[in-house]
Amino acid sequence: MSDGLDFYTVEPAADPEARREIVAFLAACDLDFEEQIEAMVLCRENDQLVACAGLDKGIIKDVAISPALRGTSLSLRLVSEIIYLAHSRQYKTLFVYTEPHNADFFVGCGFYPLVEVPGQTTLMENSPVGMKSYCQELAKKRVEGDIIGCVVANANPFTRGHLYLIEQAAKASDWLHLFIVSEDASLFSYEDRLALARQNVGHIPNLTLHEGSKYMVSRATFPAYFFKDKGMVGKCRTAVDLLLFRRYIAPALGITHRFVGTEPFCDTTRKYNEDMKHWLQDPLRKAEPVHVVEMERTRLDDIAISASEVRRLLNQNHMERIQSLVPPATYDLIVSKYVAKVQQQA
Amino acid sequence: MKIVQEALAGTLESSDLFVRVSPIDGPLEVIVQSEVEHQFGDQIRKVIGEVLEKLGVTSGATLIVEDKGALDCVIQARVEAAIMRAAGSPKVEWEALS
Repeated sequence: MSDGLDFYTVEPAADPEARREIVAFLAACDLDFEEQIEAMVLCRENDQLVACAGLDKGIIKDVAISPALRGTSLSLRLVSEIIYLAHSRQYKTLFVYTEPHNADFFVGCGFYPLVEVPGQTTLMENSPVGMKSYCQELAKKRVEGDIIGCVVANANPFTRGHLYLIEQAAKASDWLHLFIVSEDASLFSYEDRLALARQNVGHIPNLTLHEGSKYMVSRATFPAYFFKDKGMVGKCRTAVDLLLFRRYIAPALGITHRFVGTEPFCDTTRKYNEDMKHWLQDPLRKAEPVHVVEMERTRLDDIAISASEVRRLLNQNHMERIQSLVPPATYDLIVSKYVAKVQQQA
Repeated sequence: MKIVQEALAGTLESSDLFVRVSPIDGPLEVIVQSEVEHQFGDQIRKVIGEVLEKLGVTSGATLIVEDKGALDCVIQARVEAAIMRAAGSPKVEWEALS
């Protein structure tokens, strides 16, 4: 190029030298390198790294420009390049997290704000119609009533605990919407989790089963959920997911209550429950509150039933114990498919 | 022309235009965001509409257009390129386009 700027793509995981350079460059810009980044666009001027932008699935991360070049047309070229890179990797909808004061820059690049957590972060999407058309589809399944409940479950796998929560929630609601998280990040595939949910809730008359979407508990809305070993979840990360639910999904379906089970084991989920009470219920200018109903988990022999416990037992091959924690359909699937899978992984 | 896949054309740079075309089930939807909306918004939409008509795209697509002050000929070229990429048609009748 005549301006002396070279753009090219690297995969940091496969290129230790480039990775070191990127980490140092980001550090100079007060950013941490995010390990999940699969590919990055780099820009060099006279061999010197002057800008970068990374891609983690459909999420743009670690966008940095050396101070001397900020506010120049370089930024627009950089964003164009990362959009083409995402396109070449088949990511259609793109998300970007940015500090609210930088949101205007991304507006100029064709991104639209979905939610802002004041002073913390803004989640933006590269389409003005993505969320809108999703909500229009949801609204077709709207059922009117005084209490419209919602359960969002990963169901990894579907246990008697899920069944109990869903049955209780359905009893307490005029209608219940059940969403199965669509992101695949652990042992049981989305396809299997959804099929199990369908088999296990078929007897509940006032329930609609929904597929999950990228707008709820997904890699985009709640990245930390899928990297639980990183420890505590930042408050702003749960806020984005919960505010999206409150501002878009709940109004589309007329949801008034969200039901959750108490979480005795997993810190991330427990924190999510706590944050839920804050972000869904506290007064907010732009959205009606959604009441959070936390239900005590079902217990067996005084131990709360949870999917993570089932996965732990599966690793240790305690099949009898598993049989007592899950409905028959789940047990059959585990026996026919996942015992072998776990043994292979071991 | 039938839109069968997502496609991009153009850049976000000054005097250019960035077009994203996606296939959908439903009517044609064109969304334009422009830095010169007040002066040229109608003209930009008119040029885009003419290209779509010429290429026979009447439904089944969403076009999202980020305009950075592009001239009409640039708008035309970028929209044409995006549509043809999105239609996935290897046979392009260039003469018919000029």
